[in-house]
Amino acid sequence: MARFIIIRLIQALITLVVISIVVFALARASGDPLMLLAPPMATLEDIEVMRHHLGLDKSMPEQYWIFLRNLSHGDLGESIRNRQAVSKLIAARLPNTVSLGLSAIVLGILVSLILGVTAACKFGTWMDGGVKLVAILGQALPSFWLAIVAISIFAVWLGWLPTSGMGSPAHYVLPVLTLSFFMLPIMTRLIRSSMLEVLDSEYIKLARIKGLSEMLVVWKHALRNAIIPLLTAAGITFGTIVTGAVVIETVFSWPGLGRLMAEAVIGRDFPVIQAAVLLVAVVVLMVNLLVDITYAYVDPRIRF
Amino acid sequence: MERIRFGIKVTKLWKALWRFPVIPLAILVVLVFVAIFADVITPYPPNEMSLTHRLTPPFFMPEGSPSHLLGTDNLGRDILSRMLFGARISLSVSLLVITISSVIGTTLGMIAGYLGGRFDALLMRVTDAALAFPALLIALLLGVALGPSFGTVVLALSALGWAPYSRMMRGEVVKLRGEDFVAQARIIGSSTVRIIMKHIFPNVINTLVVLMTMSVGLVILIEASLSFLGAGIPPPTPSWGSMVSDGRNLFAQAWWISLFPSLAIGLVVLSGNFLGDWIRDKMDPKLRQL
Repeated sequence: MARFIIIRLIQALITLVVISIVVFALARASGDPLMLLAPPMATLEDIEVMRHHLGLDKSMPEQYWIFLRNLSHGDLGESIRNRQAVSKLIAARLPNTVSLGLSAIVLGILVSLILGVTAACKFGTWMDGGVKLVAILGQALPSFWLAIVAISIFAVWLGWLPTSGMGSPAHYVLPVLTLSFFMLPIMTRLIRSSMLEVLDSEYIKLARIKGLSEMLVVWKHALRNAIIPLLTAAGITFGTIVTGAVVIETVFSWPGLGRLMAEAVIGRDFPVIQAAVLLVAVVVLMVNLLVDITYAYVDPRIRF
Repeated sequence: MERIRFGIKVTKLWKALWRFPVIPLAILVVLVFVAIFADVITPYPPNEMSLTHRLTPPFFMPEGSPSHLLGTDNLGRDILSRMLFGARISLSVSLLVITISSVIGTTLGMIAGYLGGRFDALLMRVTDAALAFPALLIALLLGVALGPSFGTVVLALSALGWAPYSRMMRGEVVKLRGEDFVAQARIIGSSTVRIIMKHIFPNVINTLVVLMTMSVGLVILIEASLSFLGAGIPPPTPSWGSMVSDGRNLFAQAWWISLFPSLAIGLVVLSGNFLGDWIRDKMDPKLRQL
């Protein structure tokens, strides 16, 4: 077990180094940063002084080393647009994304559990068909469009909820609903197929023969076993949430990390997008690492 | 031996073609047709503005006019014409991305699966990382670094798009590697390249086709999201995603600007997914778990 975790940690570290090299190389490919940083009146000598000051006259490996060193201090550079430290910008936005994302994940898991289990128990009936239809539609409809429609119905037309921004709990309703809908299709499909497999097994037949109530059989005996394969999907689902958050936050003007990234794209603010992608990469890697370790812990057959 | 197997599979496919899901196929055929002949069939040039005809509703509305069937946007551009040209973007992006990523992914996956060892282990770790990483983020990063353009979108989507192919092909080849016909080919002295191309590849074509069809919808959706966020195809070139974005602040008064392009995205993605599922069930039922 310890060996497995150590190998996995080293692999995650290597992946992180590769990602940081790619991100670093892209920063240099996006053009001479001095042309963006230098004031318009600067002479060529001024630019050379700045270049030296910022360490851009050093060799590439040296620059990469400095980049890593700054990174380890939490220094992610400065936004091109408003000269604020990127780390501050991100720190201000991160809690908003986490609160939105977590509520959406919790809601999404609850709803997809109910839908997936119902569909599996009523296999082949209209309820099963209905759930499948929701899953198929959910996979095909663009999430941004769903968000726009939700805004125009519930905020503009009916006036029940605020259109955008953040503040009261009512501001959470539409973004959380649309973001959780984004992860619903994959989760529901997985739960359904995994439940179908478990419901067919011998121990479920035994539980039924013992005379346990159907509620107990389905929600305790079957579901507990059906959830294990879902762990592997958690990593992929997490990626979907990140993608969804960028789009949903933009539509709802939610002051989170996703909107920060979308703004950075329009302003071509490389340091901001670079830091955000690195941050997400770290989180994605950690989630996958955790999933792998939990999986190996739950199922002792899985080893290297 | 493998020729015969392949032959049987082709006849099976041919028989299956008779019982075909007509509607999704028809939608995709229309998409291809429209994308090719967009110049000829569009009523207006896609970027022609007309300030006198701004925000015209579609023809079935009281103030609509038959000259702009699906209405116009806030610059007076004809929605239908822009959508027809947008089909071109969606189709060409997805064709290019799927071609590039399937060629790269299949080549890497087959080599890794056949050779095994260090290269295999390394490639699978890279594939895992690429599978876990959200494609949209890489696309945003590239969009900012290289500037939004058609090439950037294709590059960004292919940058991670090869991973599912490499994973799937590797798995298939690992299973085939131990088969007798591969061993026989090796005994008569075929080179590694020849074995992979002539003996193994024909046996994995089914899986490849299924994966390719199933990713059409996904690629179109991500391209639309990118254009929606402003990191996709730069304006004024019409793309469905950016058209939805153009209309989003006007949705209450002029819903048609973003409704029709998003319906187009939904329909095409839905058809792609349906067709992918259908081909999978017909050709390779063991892939059902996907």
